Amino acid sequence: MSTQTQSPSIALDYVKTIGIVNNGLNGRGFANPYDTAVDGDGRIFVLNRCDPARASAIRVGICSLEEEYLGEFGRGNGAGVGQFVWVVAMALASKDRLFITDEYNHRVTVYETSGDYLSHWGVAGSGDGELSGPAGIAIDSSGDVIVVDQHNARIQKFTEDGKFIAAWGSFGSGEGQFNLPWGVAVDGDDNIYVADWRNDRIQKFSNDGEFLASYGESGYGNGQLQRPTGVAVDSEGFIYVADWGNERVQVLGSDGGFQLLLRGEATISKWAEDYFASNPEEKAERDLSNLKPDLPSHLNTPYHVSSQTEPYFWGPVSVTLDQVGRLYVTETNRHRIQVFQKR
Amino acid sequence: MTTTRREKSLIVIQLTGGNDYLNTVVPYEDGRYYDHRSTVNIPQEKVIPVDGQVGFNPSMGPIKTLWDEGKVAVINGIGYQTPNRSHFRSMDIWHTAEPDSIGREGWLGRAIRDIDPQGDNVLTGINFGRGLPRALGCPGVSVASVGDLATYGLFPDVRDEELRMFTLEAFSRMYGGAAGGDPVLNFLGQTGQDALHGADILRTAPAKYSSSVEYAPNSLAQNVKAISQVFHADLGSRVLYTTHASFDTHSGELLTHAKLWDEVAGAVGCLMDDLEEHGREDDASILIFSEFGRRIKDNGSGSDHGSGGVAFLIGGAVDGGMYGEYPSLAEAEQLEGDLRSNNDFRSVYTDILEDWMGLDAAPIVNGQFEKLNLFRS
Amino acid sequence: MISNDTSLMAHLLRRAGFGASRDELEEYLEMGYDGAVEALLNPSDPGNMPDDLIRRYHVEQSELRDLPGSAAYWMYRMISTTSPMEEKIALFWHSLFATGYAKLNQARSLLNQVDMFRRSGLENFEDLLLELSKDPAMILWLDNNENHGSAVNENYGRELLELFSMGIGNYTEDDVKECARAFTGWTLGNAEYMSIRAAKDSIWPYGRIAWHFEYRNEDHDDGEKTFLGETGRFNGEDIIAIIVKQESTARFLATRLFEFFAADEVTEGGEKVIHEMMATYFSSGYQIRDMLRTMFHSGYFKSEAARFARVKAPAEMVVGAIRMAGNYQNPALGIEKVSNTMLYMGQGLLQPPSVEGWHEGLEWINSGALLERVNFAAKELSDVKSPGVRSIIDRLEASSGDGVLVPSDLADRCLDLLGPIQVSDETRSVLVDYASRQGDLDLTGHQLGDEAEQRVGNMLRLVAATKEYQLA
Repeated sequence: MSTQTQSPSIALDYVKTIGIVNNGLNGRGFANPYDTAVDGDGRIFVLNRCDPARASAIRVGICSLEEEYLGEFGRGNGAGVGQFVWVVAMALASKDRLFITDEYNHRVTVYETSGDYLSHWGVAGSGDGELSGPAGIAIDSSGDVIVVDQHNARIQKFTEDGKFIAAWGSFGSGEGQFNLPWGVAVDGDDNIYVADWRNDRIQKFSNDGEFLASYGESGYGNGQLQRPTGVAVDSEGFIYVADWGNERVQVLGSDGGFQLLLRGEATISKWAEDYFASNPEEKAERDLSNLKPDLPSHLNTPYHVSSQTEPYFWGPVSVTLDQVGRLYVTETNRHRIQVFQKR
Repeated sequence: MTTTRREKSLIVIQLTGGNDYLNTVVPYEDGRYYDHRSTVNIPQEKVIPVDGQVGFNPSMGPIKTLWDEGKVAVINGIGYQTPNRSHFRSMDIWHTAEPDSIGREGWLGRAIRDIDPQGDNVLTGINFGRGLPRALGCPGVSVASVGDLATYGLFPDVRDEELRMFTLEAFSRMYGGAAGGDPVLNFLGQTGQDALHGADILRTAPAKYSSSVEYAPNSLAQNVKAISQVFHADLGSRVLYTTHASFDTHSGELLTHAKLWDEVAGAVGCLMDDLEEHGREDDASILIFSEFGRRIKDNGSGSDHGSGGVAFLIGGAVDGGMYGEYPSLAEAEQLEGDLRSNNDFRSVYTDILEDWMGLDAAPIVNGQFEKLNLFRS
Repeated sequence: MISNDTSLMAHLLRRAGFGASRDELEEYLEMGYDGAVEALLNPSDPGNMPDDLIRRYHVEQSELRDLPGSAAYWMYRMISTTSPMEEKIALFWHSLFATGYAKLNQARSLLNQVDMFRRSGLENFEDLLLELSKDPAMILWLDNNENHGSAVNENYGRELLELFSMGIGNYTEDDVKECARAFTGWTLGNAEYMSIRAAKDSIWPYGRIAWHFEYRNEDHDDGEKTFLGETGRFNGEDIIAIIVKQESTARFLATRLFEFFAADEVTEGGEKVIHEMMATYFSSGYQIRDMLRTMFHSGYFKSEAARFARVKAPAEMVVGAIRMAGNYQNPALGIEKVSNTMLYMGQGLLQPPSVEGWHEGLEWINSGALLERVNFAAKELSDVKSPGVRSIIDRLEASSGDGVLVPSDLADRCLDLLGPIQVSDETRSVLVDYASRQGDLDLTGHQLGDEAEQRVGNMLRLVAATKEYQLA
């Protein structure tokens, strides 16, 4: 369910759940999804991290909000052209292009949304334009690509073709410093928000990298964060945070003040329904079960609670917004996306 | 260590994950098949017809060729009484021939012990792959596990040949000394010598082997090639085992299943060609099995764990044909949505142990089971 | 100069841990033997690789949907812990209360059981048995979820007495029945749904759902029971209270602890120690820590008789070599290959072959396993790039005034720094001959990967390949 501040200025209604675990190498379903992108036609692109046993599986699956499985693409596991090892995030640019980061191959790979490979750029290193564990990625209004350079503790800006423009940041916990940062987002004014993962905060910068604000601190109270992995900003300036370590999503106001939090309330997706149609005895037992049970005291961390409570977020790695006020929460441990609608 | 008399060898290919019976031996003439498998089915025109009622998966061309030569026994509806749909448990049951309790000895481990009670030949049973499948496990029975025949042995990561030789020499001296007072060190010494010895012998196998048959570059075909090399080197190996995975096709089944069977059929075809080329097709039989079949109704993209499955026995000495009954797809005959098995896997084991390996089956499979008479007399 | 103190401390650390590098050994030597025993028996912050880092890069170790990732997670803990006794005691209980993935298909809950062993494994045995009886992985493993007041299932009740405490011959069949009755109603939440998911290995639709204990009062047989001569309306905890009072329980526990931590075979000297441990069991109020303290301080444990009296379990073989080489200190692709290698050696973490656990001692050794053991340790310790080996190279250079080592010193000092490891004269002469092939070794000005360093790597490889290296 959701918890709110006294009079929040925003409300989010749960819409539905999309997804099912895919244990094979292809076909409908997801394998530890790490990010989602939604295009103007409502096509939902899902980036699968894929566990080692499924390392050769397809990386990007495509579906619709009505849960039609539309397709998939990827060239398998490895360092070859168009291949991936450890994907982290993806950004949708104009001209139907997806920019995908790979923190093992230290590069950004560009695919067309049709599934055709276009190009890749980035080499391992710490010099200008070099990458060490690229994680979050976002595109600003001029088409420049913002990349979170995780192990170099900095943000870098590139042209679409990977030409270095600027970089800022260093390792630490001060303003403009980072500790294994992860997600990144751009707002309507081209300001840049970074999920500064191990500093348990969101940092806001101008498009040139000037530090503007820091939101959040370690903890699990309202407005506190534990290892935030993803961030998104809507047209009104509300900041959505994937509060991964707390297994929840928080919404902050444009001033960083706490607005509301979501714990997750997943229901059966269409693909899940198909599964239960072939496995009625399992469905029968499930219907008699309490999916939100009380837990003993030693299983009290958010991670443990979520591992036992199926409707809750478990591994909510990224938050994505579409153009009509919908929020997509990508859960890596539950192989699904919970969709919410801003009222 | 070499034997002059040619003994019969059993080659086992384990399909790990639960092979989908319905899409392997396809009941394409039965409309209910297409009703239940509305998505995950083999279209009629693609099936390789076998006997007018059922046909093979289109990837099984080489198996069909062998079928036409009368060398393929298809054992329909194979399983055991109370099906267990857990991979590990069901595979354990097949490995230990113990459906009702946790078995401790593998059926082939016991067979190897009966064949070579003194453990004179450390290569009597060999697994091709790392680790040891429980089927071959039995306390006191030495079974080699060959991950890669070309590099099998000690210190495979030492590239420098001279260095490796000196290191092996040192190892041999350390483990080969006279038995001292400490039983633990003695046992280690003896085991080390066995391992070294086994590796020395196995390493000669590829060199002795020549064949016109070309095996595909996938992992199963390469393991089967290694089996062929070791078999033809006449090292006294009676049980040669390998596994292929993963047949656990819960989603995206059609593509994956087709590819897997392409690999299995290809490897088996090559092996049989190889045996024929060497004039040995009557000396080896190939058992192909899986731990269970899959559900009758598909789940939209694949199929889930079921019970009754299919097994194959292939070889020059096999009496080809259909054995057992194809389980009925009628609602009333199903077992909780699964195919009901109609013969016990231990019957097949009994056939193999008695008629092929010349052993007493009952103590190995923990009981008397009716034979299917799978071998030509 | 290998002092007895050093040998003894290395012996303690092989048993209460996974062996020690010379750096670690020196830290413990500063505490003295008694201080080291206390430090080991009172694990503080384990300092292992943090969970958030692991889960960020290894999704499979966050979700724990399959076995390989789950075993690898425990590997990381064993490799990176600074409180090794915590992991060894968890491994001890894991082997004794052998609960296997095969039937459960639920790794999170299995790892929760291992967590419980870390938390309670050195404390009071009565509390431990109580936690075990409430552990959902154990409940499903031994079918206690099928143990109803109206239809008793004796599996857990039986194994609790036979395998987890007193041992066969110390109770009757009636005792088994009454014990089982007392545990009726001890089940897991959503037991029927979880049970069918386990049986079907179901990961649908959204991955695994972990388990927790639930007591169903309406399912519990509250009637009067007579157990081991005592009568009352016993519930599970009452049965446990009676079990822990028994001498057979003390003997069972002392023997198993001895066999895991002291020696594979129980000799006359060992029997004495077991008796002392049994006495401690009662005088301390069933405290496992106290029993181990008695054992670690016994004359037998400190004597030559106990030195190298165990065959290393695969976990000790693999983790010991990795810790010595200083590898896998950060999340890395390939960690699963390491836990798979342990499996090929015969010990797959979280998958004991049966409810009897693993048979240890010489049963670890067969030709296939020996090949895997020797090859793994040889490869790990011969890599001059790994931090632990570089540390050994530096110490070797420093050990000689002019950086030059004669062959016998090279052999002896490698044996020392990897242990100290005691070897027979024959083994030693092979090592010295091997070193002599290339004469004296000059390590001055050595560069990464040069011939001088390679010679050290080659010697370490051979030491790792000795028979004696197989022993703990």
